[in-house]
Amino acid sequence: MNAKTHTQSNTDAPPTTTQVSQVTIKAPIQQVWDTLTQEGKVLPFFFGTVMHTTSLGPGAPIRMRTPNGKYTGVVGDILEFEPPHKYSMTFKFTNFDDGVCKVTHELREIDGGTEYTLTSEAIPVGTKTEKNMKQGGEIITKTLKACVETGKPTVMARFIMVMSKLMAFTTPKQCLSENWPMDRKTPLEGSY
Amino acid sequence: MSTAPNPTDLVFQALASQPRRQMIDLVIQSPGCSVNDLCEHFEFSRIAVMKHLKVLVEARLILSRKQGRTRQLFFNAAPIQMIYDRWTGEYSRFWVTQAVDLKYKVEGKSGSGKRPAQRKQAKNKKSRSRKTQSVTRVRKTAKRKAKEK
Repeated sequence: MNAKTHTQSNTDAPPTTTQVSQVTIKAPIQQVWDTLTQEGKVLPFFFGTVMHTTSLGPGAPIRMRTPNGKYTGVVGDILEFEPPHKYSMTFKFTNFDDGVCKVTHELREIDGGTEYTLTSEAIPVGTKTEKNMKQGGEIITKTLKACVETGKPTVMARFIMVMSKLMAFTTPKQCLSENWPMDRKTPLEGSY
Repeated sequence: MSTAPNPTDLVFQALASQPRRQMIDLVIQSPGCSVNDLCEHFEFSRIAVMKHLKVLVEARLILSRKQGRTRQLFFNAAPIQMIYDRWTGEYSRFWVTQAVDLKYKVEGKSGSGKRPAQRKQAKNKKSRSRKTQSVTRVRKTAKRKAKEK
């Protein structure tokens, strides 16, 4: 059984893996969707970054930037945008030279709330991207649930936001937002 | 009148079985594996594997996704995280981690989610930095002595 490479379509391509996180949020689906897709606001569940885009629709670029706009942590392009159920995008950390992944946010109405599923696919195995995606997936689902249900992020999310501000000076130069303008195409030569 | 089962009860029930815990280990090791892949590791029938799997899926510890004619299985850590959050505060979390890490260290097991290889790497890094510190200290002492002379 070697499912670490189960998503591998080509034998020459590097092995990739998939990570899934699912949580039930006690709130209407529209409220969860609106929280998840907020533009121009600090999003605690995305580690205190702000989502920048030209328009929320397929093909539009996404840039997750620090509140002051100086650094860009994640870049990608929207692949699917079906309010209030599905939203998927290509995903790349600007500080790593790993392949491009695919991230999908899915919402489903269930009794007493909304089922939120975060799926990260085509993650290159054994890379820093894999490690960050694993930790990130758990924090995103947990913090989104806390934000929607209680109106405030978890202590851990607040701690991460404070630390990110304090440690901003250690961010590599390749993450500067001037290197990742909206019209720069996300490199798609990666795994995805 | 039927009431919906408590999600926490479902998680504990699912974890209270050795084969089911083994199934979780196998799915973590091989995300996206199929039911057939799981069956290879157990002596009991496919029907029994499916029954155990159903319990894990109901507890949301395993997510089952249809892919063509087969089903892919993934581990979902969220229910366990919720239980952890419920009974551990920010301070106890820190001290318990220290105590558990000590236990793992003494018993020679991996802890803090770090694999033995990663721990070895971290240890090497630490010892390297210690070596650097001691070299700097020796140089400073030598300089001071030279000045005194």
